[in-house]
Amino acid sequence: MIKKTFKVPDMTCSNCAMKLESLEDSLDGVKEINASYHRLEMVIEFDESKLTDEQIVAAVKKKGYTAIIA
Amino acid sequence: MKKQQNKSLDPVVVITIGVVFIAIAISMVLFQSGTEGFLNDSGTMGQLMVAFITGITTGGLSCLAVQGGLLASSLAHQIEQDYAGQISGGKKSKQGPVARTSSAFPIFLFLVAKLVVYTLLGAFLGWLGSYFAISPMSRAILMILIGLFMIGNGLRMFNVHPIFRYFSIEPPKFITRYIRRTAKGTDTFTPLFLGALTIFIPCGVTQAMMATALGTGSLMMGAALMFAFTLGTSPVFFIVAYLTTELGARLEKFFMRFVAVVVLILGLVTVNSGLNLIGSPLSLQNMILRLTAQDDARGLLPSESSSAAETPASQPVAVDGEIILNVKNDGYFPTTLKAPADRSLILNLVTNKTYSCARDFVIPSLNVYQLLPDTGTVQVDLPPQKSGTKMNFTCSMGMYTGVILFE
Repeated sequence: MIKKTFKVPDMTCSNCAMKLESLEDSLDGVKEINASYHRLEMVIEFDESKLTDEQIVAAVKKKGYTAIIA
Repeated sequence: MKKQQNKSLDPVVVITIGVVFIAIAISMVLFQSGTEGFLNDSGTMGQLMVAFITGITTGGLSCLAVQGGLLASSLAHQIEQDYAGQISGGKKSKQGPVARTSSAFPIFLFLVAKLVVYTLLGAFLGWLGSYFAISPMSRAILMILIGLFMIGNGLRMFNVHPIFRYFSIEPPKFITRYIRRTAKGTDTFTPLFLGALTIFIPCGVTQAMMATALGTGSLMMGAALMFAFTLGTSPVFFIVAYLTTELGARLEKFFMRFVAVVVLILGLVTVNSGLNLIGSPLSLQNMILRLTAQDDARGLLPSESSSAAETPASQPVAVDGEIILNVKNDGYFPTTLKAPADRSLILNLVTNKTYSCARDFVIPSLNVYQLLPDTGTVQVDLPPQKSGTKMNFTCSMGMYTGVILFE
């Protein structure tokens, strides 16, 4: 398991953070996601053997946001 | 023929119309009957109407942007299951209408639950606010804080500076996680429960309205305010949530700036009202009053240029130690009242079918707080004041103001 921080500059409210955290349920290999609108970032704990950074960025994009590796 | 009849009797339309009519009916009941109690006091009718209109305009869309996703995910799952069930049942012709029926009812349940919990929240906030609203001064401080909170939220929506993001309340993670997982449920109880849980994720406009409910300092008024507001949000929420969740995302982009402007204006008005209530010279009305009073004292305002009814200079000095102030629905007349200095006076507050918040009369510097009858005269004793004293008076909402000039 690895923990990585992604900047998500286009969050506009606290609900955006909640939407991003819902990736916990749909992305295979994710243990936990903590997104914060206050800091415009999401910290994701995931299994590197099952998931790549690019897949995370793509999944975030599908939710309507831009993720940048911090 | 049969198909058309089915379309016109679509339960979604029926429930939508029902929600709108219930909203209007309850509003009318609230505004017209049983008003002897709390509703007739201090222009609350107007305040409730404003809350309702705020709900039906900006509130509905703003709430939808924040809470719509939850409802949509629950509904999507349910509709998906309905379709799967129908396809496996082999009754293709009934797919559309049946799916609609099953999505309308959960939205309705969701909104009913939301209405109930927010009304209870309003009651709690109003009750809580009663502990802060003992004096006009504490009420004023609360109003200023509420106003600043609203301005902060408005600036946050405009993305002026990262610091304003902290004006948005982030619910604890365990709550958002719990809500998200509950949203996956498909039974009847789920939307009801989800509607109740929206209390933990209020949108910006709702947060502003919650702050206003706190400022009312009354359990009944707090409940009525949140009820009126949430009721107002319901029809828009219902229609748009039903149509499509995609529309919600588009509306969010279009309307967020509009909502931000409304919240900013409301915030500035609230801060100004708070400043009025503490008799601050920094409020807009007091600044204007002082400027005009100074001009008047220096003879800059010719008395014949204004009508006798509204000219401060034309106000007679006290007769038999009494001065008169007319309290009307649209404020106090005259707004600048002249009085002799260094002697005790009686201020006669005259109301005549006055129902606005002007009835809640406040003189901040003397700590006078007087609720006037809708028709009648109430006397307030004014202790001797030095020449040149400018005594501000206002309504309890800080909306209507005036000044007594002692000379």
